[in-house]
Amino acid sequence: MEIDLSRVTLRPFELMDAHDFLIWAGDDRVTGNLRWPVLTSEEEALAFIRDVCLPHPWRRSICIDDRSIGFISIFPETGDDRFKAHIGYGLSHEYWGKGITTRAVSIAVSQVFNDLPHVLRLQAFVRTQNKASQRLVEKIGFQREGLLRKYTYLKGTIYDVFVYSLLSSDLLPLPQSYSSQIVL
Amino acid sequence: METPQNMISSSPGRIYLRPMILSDVDDYMVWATDSKVARFCTWEPCTSRDEAIKYITDKVLTHPWLRAICLEDDRPIGYILIMPVDDIRKEIGYVLARKYWGKGFATEAVRLVTAEIFKEMPEIERLEALVDVENVGSQRVLEKVGFTREGLMRKFICIKGSVRDTVMFSFLPSDILK
Repeated sequence: MEIDLSRVTLRPFELMDAHDFLIWAGDDRVTGNLRWPVLTSEEEALAFIRDVCLPHPWRRSICIDDRSIGFISIFPETGDDRFKAHIGYGLSHEYWGKGITTRAVSIAVSQVFNDLPHVLRLQAFVRTQNKASQRLVEKIGFQREGLLRKYTYLKGTIYDVFVYSLLSSDLLPLPQSYSSQIVL
Repeated sequence: METPQNMISSSPGRIYLRPMILSDVDDYMVWATDSKVARFCTWEPCTSRDEAIKYITDKVLTHPWLRAICLEDDRPIGYILIMPVDDIRKEIGYVLARKYWGKGFATEAVRLVTAEIFKEMPEIERLEALVDVENVGSQRVLEKVGFTREGLMRKFICIKGSVRDTVMFSFLPSDILK
């Protein structure tokens, strides 16, 4: 089923998203490689939206027709390191493979450097086996900087990751005739 | 000859490593006051003996793993340290007085520590080093020891208010020292 990508929007989470949130956030295929807790009820989803998503520096719901089907987070580090931010995302399994996450990340990237002006570097640490995510960030224009061996410890396993970055300076405006080619 | 605990020495014994002590302060000031040494470090050059004593007391003696790099006369010419990043990753750092640059002392110190540290800390899965893109001397030290140069990370580290490009190196327990 093709999706008209103009129906894809980003907005902050709302408590009313709890039911839709649980559908994808309770799915291990979506959040299994994230550091999120296991969510098994709407009460837990509501608490997670209220206590984690709403206070988050930059977390958005990926929506189709304003219904939450996933998330994108930009998480700056603290103190002297707050110029660099980690990007993460997840999408309801039903909507995989249609270019939705790529479109959503592209929208996020176009907004975040304005919303968080102290952020100079977006970075993604993508496990070597996660080819879909590697293709996604490369399409957006992230640069692969290298392979970091045994870098990430997640749920009992240590992973090699590719490190990618997108700098605010990578997105400096181009002459009008090129601007439509910057980001998918 | 028995090597006392906490001393690590290389053969043929050009340098050895031991804990720093407060009475090292005058040797410490030789490199700590030098702005060329401080250039790629997070700290500003030290400006007084009192400041040096305070820094050694508050930061050096309390450090979880820091060793003075000493010549045969037991006087430090620099130090080398291991910082925890998380449960499985540690970062190595070192500093040397400028008079002793270019003679292979840093390479020896890094090789000594890398050879021993995985036995002392068996939980380490990854030892890493982050080197400023312009600090070519330090990059060569790590390459000579056998660290893997993994990539150039753009605008990765903030040093004294300036965001710098940084080269990432790593050494795993399964890697071979050169």
